[in-house]
Amino acid sequence: MRALRIGLLLGIRQIQRANIWTTTLIIFVMMLTFLNLIAVSGVLVGLIEGAERAVRENATGDIVITALDDEDRILETTSFIRELEAYPEISTYSVRFNGNALLEANYKERRSLTGERDTAAVIVNGINPENEDSMSKLSSLVRDGEYLRADEEGYILIGAYYLKEYAEDFGDIFDSIDVQVGEPVRMTIGNVSKEFIVKGIIESKVDEVNFATYIPEKEFRRIFGRYDRNADQIVIRTQRPEQNAEVAASLKDSGLADYAKIQTYEESLPKFLIDIKNTFNVLGTMIGSIGIVVASITIFIIIFINAVSRRQQIGILKGIGIQRNVIEIAYVLQAAFYALSGSLLGALFTYWFLVPYFDKNPIQFPFSDGILAADPESTFWKFLVLFVITLFAGFIPAWVIVRKNTLNSILGRK
Amino acid sequence: MEIINATNIHRKFGEGNLVAHVLRGIDFTVTEGEFVAIMGKSGAGKSTLMYQLSVLDEPTEGSVIIDGTDVMKLGEREMTAFRLNTLGYIFQNYALVPDLSASENVMLPLLMRGLDWETAKQKAHETIDSVGMEGKYNNLPAALSGGEQQRISVARAIAGKPKILFADEPTANLDSVSGGQVIDLITKLNREFGQTVVMVTHEREYAANCNRIVHMEDGMIINEETQ
Repeated sequence: MRALRIGLLLGIRQIQRANIWTTTLIIFVMMLTFLNLIAVSGVLVGLIEGAERAVRENATGDIVITALDDEDRILETTSFIRELEAYPEISTYSVRFNGNALLEANYKERRSLTGERDTAAVIVNGINPENEDSMSKLSSLVRDGEYLRADEEGYILIGAYYLKEYAEDFGDIFDSIDVQVGEPVRMTIGNVSKEFIVKGIIESKVDEVNFATYIPEKEFRRIFGRYDRNADQIVIRTQRPEQNAEVAASLKDSGLADYAKIQTYEESLPKFLIDIKNTFNVLGTMIGSIGIVVASITIFIIIFINAVSRRQQIGILKGIGIQRNVIEIAYVLQAAFYALSGSLLGALFTYWFLVPYFDKNPIQFPFSDGILAADPESTFWKFLVLFVITLFAGFIPAWVIVRKNTLNSILGRK
Repeated sequence: MEIINATNIHRKFGEGNLVAHVLRGIDFTVTEGEFVAIMGKSGAGKSTLMYQLSVLDEPTEGSVIIDGTDVMKLGEREMTAFRLNTLGYIFQNYALVPDLSASENVMLPLLMRGLDWETAKQKAHETIDSVGMEGKYNNLPAALSGGEQQRISVARAIAGKPKILFADEPTANLDSVSGGQVIDLITKLNREFGQTVVMVTHEREYAANCNRIVHMEDGMIINEETQ
């Protein structure tokens, strides 16, 4: 305790009397190191989290209800929906019916029956346009044309990846048709065909949306012969994301788990996505650790130069009876001060500026709106690693210099 | 009563053919309350002898017993503690910590001895007053003249009431007026408080107040004068 107290006195006074510009520069380097550590992995993880956020916003909602593993559809969908209406925590939901169909364009212009048809195998979603829009903001994703209206029939929304105009960027890897807004397309399911007018083109950073077509639920059930009203998916938006687990648990407890699989968004995430996120985190941390190495070398050099230039003073301190550990503590304290100050400024900059900024202005990646993911817990652990390494970087040079012969240090001999 | 008893002290530097034999079998004693000056030309070995006696260096051969303790048998940690509790030092370049105020410089060994902050501060101020530096407690060393720094250095050395005060050419970097003041101060400590002092100097006038002057040449004591 005594050693700590005197070490603190020496360390604090050294910091107080040091050149203000040098101290500022060192703290700035530490701040950049901290930001490097947080930002690199934060952008990489944020890329996945941005994608996740978009999927949650435009596709899956906060709670996803799907058919039980041994069933094709959600059982007793009508009762299920009645139950959902009773939950004040649920702000909105959308009931979806899914099916596969063949979509054909330009069939009227085809001159020969043996000529190549302009077709694409598509996924068809039957939706209530208003409910779907309030849940997934689907209308905001219409790039060309207009959104569906509940009171009209014979119109279809087509995901961008089914259109040649959009899909050719990806090469010839999936089916696409050459059609524009206002033109007819023919949907065929088995022996049933129906003509639709393309009302709008949907484009999103969520592939699930780009690879989908949307028609009103009533038409869907009629064409697909789904008269039992049992849906394929119900997606729910809660008032607050913190309520997700609680609402999902409550739905399960009310017996609805017998009719469908109820999962929060997080539970419904595919494992590969979680793995990618973890991998990116590790990758980012590895890249960020280069910054730690640079910072520790910087601190080592700073403390080493500081200690070497004060070698005679260190010798005198030892000469008058100050123990070695007291002197070492003084130098470690300086390193701790630089690391703490730099990290504190870095953390303030991250959470007061960078995170809110990237939330409002996401980085535009082709498949995601990248945000800066800086989970406070992982930030704390990274800070701790930086802090401990900095302490060692401060301790080692002090330890080397303090071990030198006392008299040689006093006399400036080698 | 003997407070320092050094026997057959040898100190060699270097290895092989490049060995410099700086001290050649010195026997040296100091009694309690004595003021001893070690004099000699440059290279005579006077500072080297003082380093052996003051536990800042270890002789190549011989033994040093201070206040009944065989210092050669102490480990590094004990040696540092021994210097703190038993010895006081005045260096020729003052050797104050530049980042600490005058008061904190004097407080440092007192805090190391375990005194609490307030007691150490009070004692430091009293000691600074006693060396004629009243009111300069908060001055940094850089804001003090050479003579003033050396007086603070004396205050630091004596604040803990050491059994022996070692002074290595304490006037070497001072003008004659400041040098005289520092010597007067050391003499006063010896005369009024019975402080044992071992001082290295090559200026005869500053050794005038000593009880004994030891003359060295080529690493040996060639004669002693008692005054």
